[in-house]
This record gives sequence, C-alpha cells and structure tokens, in this order.
Amino acid sequence: MALAKTGGLKRYYDVNGWLFIAPALTLIGIFLIYPIFRSLFLSFYSGKGMMLKFAGFGNVTRLSNDPVFLKALANTTTFFVVQVPIMIVLALILASLLNTDRLKFSGFFRTAIFLPCVASLVAYSVLFKSMFSVDGVINQALMAVGLIGTPIGWLTEPFWAKVLVILAITWRWTGYNMIFYLAALQNIDKSIYEAARIDGVPAWARFVHLTIPMLKPVILFTTIISTIGTIQLFDEVYNLTEGKGGPADATITLSLYIYNLTFRFMPSFGYAATISYVIVVMVAVLSFLQFYAARDRS
Amino acid sequence: MTPTPAPSARTWRFLPAASTYIALSIAAFVSLFPFVWMLISATNTSIDIIKGKTSFGDAFSTNVTNFFTLVDVPLVFWNSAKVAILTTLLTIAVSSLAGYGFEMFRSKMRDHIYSLVLLTLMVPFAALMIPLFMMMGRAGLINTHVAILLPTIASAFIIFYFRQSTKAFPTELRDAAKVDGLKEWQIFLYIYVPVMRSTFAAAFVIVFMTSWNNYLWPLIVLQSNETKTITLVVSSLASAYYPDFGVVMIGTILATLPTLLVFFIMQRQFVAGMLGSVK
Amino acid sequence: MYHRTILSRFAAAAFAGASLFASTAAFAGEVTIWCWDPNFNVAIMKEAGARYTAKHPETTFNIVDFAKADVEQKLQTALSSGTTDALPDIVLIEDYGAQKYLQSFPGAFAELSGTVDYSGFAPYKVQLMTVDGKVYGMPFDSGVTGFYYRKDYLEQAGFKPADVQDITWDRFIEIGKQVEEKTGKKMMGLDITDAGFTRILMQSAGQWYFDADGNLNIENNTALKAALETQQKILQAGVYKPSSGWTEWVGSFTSGDVATVTTGVWITGTVKAQADQAGKWGVAPIPSLGIEGAGHASNLGGSSWYVLESSAEKADAIAFLNETYAKDIDFYQKILTERGAVGSLMAARTGDAYMKADDFFGGEKVWQNFSDWLSKVPPVNYGIFTNEVDTAVTAHLPSLAQGAKVDEVLKEIQSQAEGQIQ
Repeated sequence: MALAKTGGLKRYYDVNGWLFIAPALTLIGIFLIYPIFRSLFLSFYSGKGMMLKFAGFGNVTRLSNDPVFLKALANTTTFFVVQVPIMIVLALILASLLNTDRLKFSGFFRTAIFLPCVASLVAYSVLFKSMFSVDGVINQALMAVGLIGTPIGWLTEPFWAKVLVILAITWRWTGYNMIFYLAALQNIDKSIYEAARIDGVPAWARFVHLTIPMLKPVILFTTIISTIGTIQLFDEVYNLTEGKGGPADATITLSLYIYNLTFRFMPSFGYAATISYVIVVMVAVLSFLQFYAARDRS
Repeated sequence: MTPTPAPSARTWRFLPAASTYIALSIAAFVSLFPFVWMLISATNTSIDIIKGKTSFGDAFSTNVTNFFTLVDVPLVFWNSAKVAILTTLLTIAVSSLAGYGFEMFRSKMRDHIYSLVLLTLMVPFAALMIPLFMMMGRAGLINTHVAILLPTIASAFIIFYFRQSTKAFPTELRDAAKVDGLKEWQIFLYIYVPVMRSTFAAAFVIVFMTSWNNYLWPLIVLQSNETKTITLVVSSLASAYYPDFGVVMIGTILATLPTLLVFFIMQRQFVAGMLGSVK
Repeated sequence: MYHRTILSRFAAAAFAGASLFASTAAFAGEVTIWCWDPNFNVAIMKEAGARYTAKHPETTFNIVDFAKADVEQKLQTALSSGTTDALPDIVLIEDYGAQKYLQSFPGAFAELSGTVDYSGFAPYKVQLMTVDGKVYGMPFDSGVTGFYYRKDYLEQAGFKPADVQDITWDRFIEIGKQVEEKTGKKMMGLDITDAGFTRILMQSAGQWYFDADGNLNIENNTALKAALETQQKILQAGVYKPSSGWTEWVGSFTSGDVATVTTGVWITGTVKAQADQAGKWGVAPIPSLGIEGAGHASNLGGSSWYVLESSAEKADAIAFLNETYAKDIDFYQKILTERGAVGSLMAARTGDAYMKADDFFGGEKVWQNFSDWLSKVPPVNYGIFTNEVDTAVTAHLPSLAQGAKVDEVLKEIQSQAEGQIQ
C-alpha cells in the first residue's frame, strides 16, 4: 500500500479505475439519471397533455384523494406481500430438492423448472389467457377431477384475477430464482449436510437451520430483485387483462396506472411522474428494510 | 416388498427420495405444461383453442401458412436478432468493464457511485418512458433500432452481476500479468475474459433473453412494419380485432424458439457462470 | 441547456452507427397511415389508397397496422414529447377519444373545415371532431348498433323473428330464460371487464357520462341508472355467458355458444366470417331500456381519420381523404359489401349495396335497416374523459353481480370519476 501512495502509481490506478467504468457511467447518466430528474421536474406540473402548469405539491394532494391510486397501491402491495415469499420459499425448496445427492434426471428437472423464464412475456401471457379462460383447459381439468363444480372466472372475478396474476408471475420466475439458490447450494460443502444427516437431523430442520442461513446473502439479493420486479409489475398484468387491470381494478398496479395516465387517459404526465416516485420510495424503503432485517440477525 | 434386515432405515431413506421425485415431477410438469399447451394449440383452429380443446388437431399447416402470409417472417426475425444480439454484446462489454473496474479499483468515490448505480434498479421504467422518448426524438432516432439499444445497454443488474463474479477472479493472475508488463486493458482482454468465460456465458443468456423478449420500449419507439420485432408482431396479432389464435400460437412458438435455443446451447456454461456469481 | 449539447454530440456519434440500421424514411409522395384492424380499417384503407393511386400515380400509401392500444399509445407518446417526425400523415382515432386528442394537443391535427363539405355526414360524427367551431377529422365508420340473433336457437325455444323486434330488455331476459331452458344456450356473452354494453344501453336513451356542456353526469343520469339496473337483472337472471376480454367474448358467439349479440355494426364481418352459420342469423333493432327517452338505436365505437398538422404530405393526405371518403359513393358500396363497413356519409346510403338483401342473414335487407337506425342514433357529448369514467364504470360492474344497490354504485362511480378528472 505504501507504493500506491506515491503519486504516479496512484494516478495510474485511478485513471484506470475511471476508464473501466466510464462507458457504463456515461450511458447511465444519459439514459437513467437525466430522465429521472426530468420526471421529478415533471411531477411538479399538472395539466392536459403538453399544456402544463406549475402545480407545486398539487399532485401529491391528488394522490390521497384518488381511489384508483389507492387501489393500485393496495394491489401492488398485495402482489408483493403474497407473491414474493411464496416464490422465494418455493424456489428454495426446489433448489434444495435438486441439490439432493445422486439425484437422477437432475439435469432434466433443472432445465424444466428453469424453462418458464425463457418464455417471452407476450407469449406466456397469451398462453395463460387461453389456458385460464372460462372454458379453458385449467377449468376443464379442475372440473374433471371434481375440485370445482362450475368454472372459475379466472379473469372475471376480482379475487381469482389476483390469484391468476400471482400464479403467472410465480410460474415464470420461480425457476429463475431457483437457479441462483442451486448455484449457491452447490458451493456449499456437502460434508456439513452429511454430518447433519448422520446426526439424525430431519430434512426440514436441515433446510431451516443449514440451508437458509447459508444462503442468506443470495436470498437477500433475490428477494430485493423480486421485490423491485413485483413493485414495478406491468407487463404481465397489461397482457393478461388487455391493459385494463380488471376486473373491478382488482389487478391494476402502480406501473399500469402510470401507463394508463400517460397513454390511455387524458395525458397527465405530472401526476404519472408523481406516482412513479411513489414506486421509487416504496422500493427504496423495502430494500432498506430487507437489508436491515438481514443484517440484524447475522 | 421383500422384508429387509433394517426396514425402518430403508423406508427412512426411501421415502424422502420418492417425495423428492414426486415434488420435482409436479414442478416440472407445471413448468412445462404451458409449452405443451402451446404446441397443442398451434395445431388447432382459433375456435377450438378458445373452447379449450386438449388434443392435437389438424390445423397446424393452415396456421403456419397464415402466419407466413400475414408476417414477413425473415424480416421480423432479422430485426429481433439484430437488436437482441447487439444489445447483448454491448451490454456485456460495458457491464463487464464496469464490474471489473468497480471491483479491481476500489476507492471511496467509486464505491459511492456503485451504490448509486444499484439505486437505479429501483426506478420503474414507466417513470423514464416520456423523457427517454423525448431524447430519442431530439436525436432523430425514433423508429431506429439504435433507440432500443441505447437505454438498455447500461444495466445496473448486469454490472452488479459482473462485480460479484469478479470477486472470484484470482488476483494472483492479475499480479503476475502486471509483473510481465501487461497493461490493464490487456489483462482484462487476455486474462480476465478467458478466465471468466462462463460468467460471460451466463450474462449472455440472461441479457439475450431479456432483450429478445423486451416489449414495452420497442413498442413505444418502433413505428413502422419494417422495424417491428417478433414480440411486437405477436402482441399485435393477439390484440387484433378478431385474433386468429392458431396463428398467434405459431407466433408464440417462433418467438420462444430462439431463447430456448440459446439457453440449451449455453446451458452448461450458464450454470457454471451462475455458480461463480453467488460465491 | 447542457443536455442538448451532450445529446447532439452523442447523436452525431450514434449516427455513424445508425446508418447500419436502415430506418425507413418516408419517401416524398408516400402517405403513411396508422390504423389497427387488418380485416377492417386496414383493408379498407388499402382499398381507398389503391383507388387514389390509380388516379394519382404520384401518391402512394404506406399503411401500418398496429394493435389499437398501440396506435393510441404511440400517438400520445409522440404528441406529448413533441416528436412529430415519428408520426404518420394520417391516423385513425376512435370517436370516444377524439376530443381528448384535439383538446390536449391543440395544433397537432390539421383543420379540415373549409376543404371538406361536412353537411353530407351524419351530424353526430361531425360534432365529435369539432372544437371551437373548427372541424378536424374525416368521419369514417359508424358504430350503429344492432341486435344479432340466432334464428335457429330462438326457433327451438319457440320464438319467431317477429318476437324479437322492438322488444324491451325485460322481455329479452324472459326470452333468454326460455332459450336456455330449451336449447341450453345462454342468451348473450357478457364481458365483465368492459363497459361497452353499458354504453350501448346508456346512449340508446340519449345520455352519456357527460352532459352537453361536458360536466360529469353520473348520479342523476337516468339512462346510466337504467343501464346498470338492466345489466344487474341480466347478471342475476344468469342468462349470460361470462367472458374476460374481447377475444373470449367474440368466441362466445362465433363458436355458437350464445343466442344473441348486441353490438356495433362493425361486428358483421366477424359474424359472417363463420360460413357454416350462414342463414342462421337475423338482425333486429336493439331492445329498449323502456324509460323516458329510450329508443332502439345506439352506437358503440366507430372511428375517424385525422391528418397530422406536422405531416410533410399534409396537402396530399387531405386531398386523398376528401376525394375518397367525402365523395366516392362507389367506394362506400365496396367497403360495405366486402367489409361490412357502414360509413357515415349519408349519400352513400342511396347506393346499390345498401339496398341489397344479404343471404347470410336469410335475405334480410340488413344494410337498409342499419342506415335507418344510424339516423336515429341519439347524439351525445363524448367529452374528453370518456376513458376515465369508463374505467370507473368497468371497475364497478362486478359489484352489480354481487347485488349491490345501483344508486350506491352510481355514487361510487361518481366519486371515482371525480378523482380521475383533474
């Protein structure tokens, strides 16, 4: 380190450091940072289309009186609170099952479960829509095995529509998260498990007391990434509900509402920008909490 | 079942194994079913698909013919491939450099910037659309594929991924190279890239999939039939006034094939690359 | 403005690479048009373009087909960002949204009054594209509604075509119950994620979400109230087949699962596309709400063409629209016969095609009927917030099924709509 302090070397080190990150920083600056500030600027304006007037915090006041915004906020929260834990736990379980010693067909299982996230978003929305239509194959199957008597209105009843959205996201992303866990698991020394097994520790206890603590950093990472994804949820809902977030606004999310305010309704860019900042704040707070929770226990 | 000397031990070992296979089979079935459904649907007429017909039909060739009449398939594929491959290569180049830079040249300042970069993950794309579109308009790039590329190249997620993976890069190699008088960019190009190739492969798979399936931004930027990508074509077929679902299914198959192909070709490196990233 | 300089430098650099990405620059004399339905307005515009090019070879057409939501989204993005060079020369806009675009983007669309003789068009079409006395569009198709019914199903249930002429919705439900009992078929498909049916009913009694001055008209809107009550009765009587979204709804009648369809005339092409159902369909006036001011004519959708002020081919585009859509009677006959498009140029109705009987509908003179109903469509003010209020109405449709009181639903719609309209 003594060497690094001498002027020439330090500068060499520094110049290289900046050079390597320069392309990325330039692009991020132009295509992310600048638009973010531009949006912030817009959020203080309101009006129809491009006829904008300075509104101060008028858009923030509007938020609290807007039932659709509150609904979108509630839906987004529901999706995140219900879907992310289900998916993470499911992915963890699948990953540890796949990590079983001498498992046959492990390559097949891994590929099969990962495959959904390869599917194009539009393609899988179209598929899910047809599978879950009133006369669709899912209802037929459920009726055939006697689970339900009449078809479920997957996309016509508010409750089931929410369930469908959760099912769809879970289908697409569980395998993706699983791969992260599987990768992390395979880096763990197998002998720890072997020892625990010989000591008679049951599978579930090994899962809870060994797997989860050891995977904590990965779990934290995937949870944050999934949280960000779910809070920004747009594509799936848009394609499943023809852009409406129906029925009864049961599946409208904050991003979809922003989209509607920008492209379907009388364009209110200022208000839409304000809502996008609600998302930013939500994600920031949640990520912080997740970091905090993870840090606290270790 | 023949009696065994230690039945309790046997069942203890046997049961979890069976339930493991059952659970994994269910998961695999659920994961694969929509793909099977896609294949079944592609052989049926639109009305049969809506009615939920679960067996193979005989409309496959009609659907394919209709799809190829409605869509300029080679052009659409060329557009998609061009965008996806260029995005992927550029993203990987920019992000691997940044990941290397952030990890190898730690400084307080750069660590702060790195945290800022990670923070950009939180910004919803919806918040960027309008300003981005205005920028592209001013630069005269609307309806070009460049406009799709530019905002997607610098990806905080991929930068993060490369930085994490770089932590596993053996620094002795770099030190040795330095002693040999290699410049930093030479180390990156001739040592880092080959050593980390599975990391690059995994990044390739992830970015290619994201880029090939990208929907909202191309939808906003691309204005003419000549520039449309396959995802846009499928969504436009599916939301037509009277969509022919048989044709749409052909579209979904064709839209999914390339990503499947890339995944299968690079599967081994992909998994190896993921292993490296989460150490 | 530092970002401008950065950007222009950046753009210059990018341009070097951009030549690789051949963007399709518009050729001089080529009119670019955006529209959305390949079987309908796209095909019709291609026909119109071909006719015009035949007479004026220097003008050619590039008709771009996007999904309707995509057209609206692109238009709105481009206008909002002021990036007009990305826009086409002519764009199709659904009538409900016309005022929204005209009022939020003043100066974006070319004024056509002065060039086009609007006296020949259905007045309600002209009214919806007028701002401050200036008219901006070329009226295109009408969404005049009809009551399409399966003669075979009704007959099995003991009804003749005469039994469904000029009925009320209450009678419709009674018939529906018997049809289901006898044939097992539901009376109609109902898409609970769309308020289109509500709008048909409401407009048939001459009211809209807004009054003539554009003020919100929900709580005291007798037509909307009756429309929701009727829908609740249908929901409770169970004479409908639920569907989620347009495609499933279309599937409900193309697959023969329901006995009737009440919607805009533009659906005719889709109905007729099922060749095996030829002769089985009839068309009657839609049932009435049975309240004061209620009739048997209404409207759903319909759209019009608009020329962008920024268009490089503005003069050509206007001349083209004027020559075909405002004058060419023969063109209207062709698009009616081939595509089932009922235009809003009144003179077109005297043409042969409108007089013809249609074999698909068992030899009925359906087009004559439609043009008759068209003249009876009550004109209403679509205002600039139809999308917003419509979303509010749609959001409350499921609660009707659960038996909510209509008055309370109206109150909730009112309050949600108020929150949206700012």
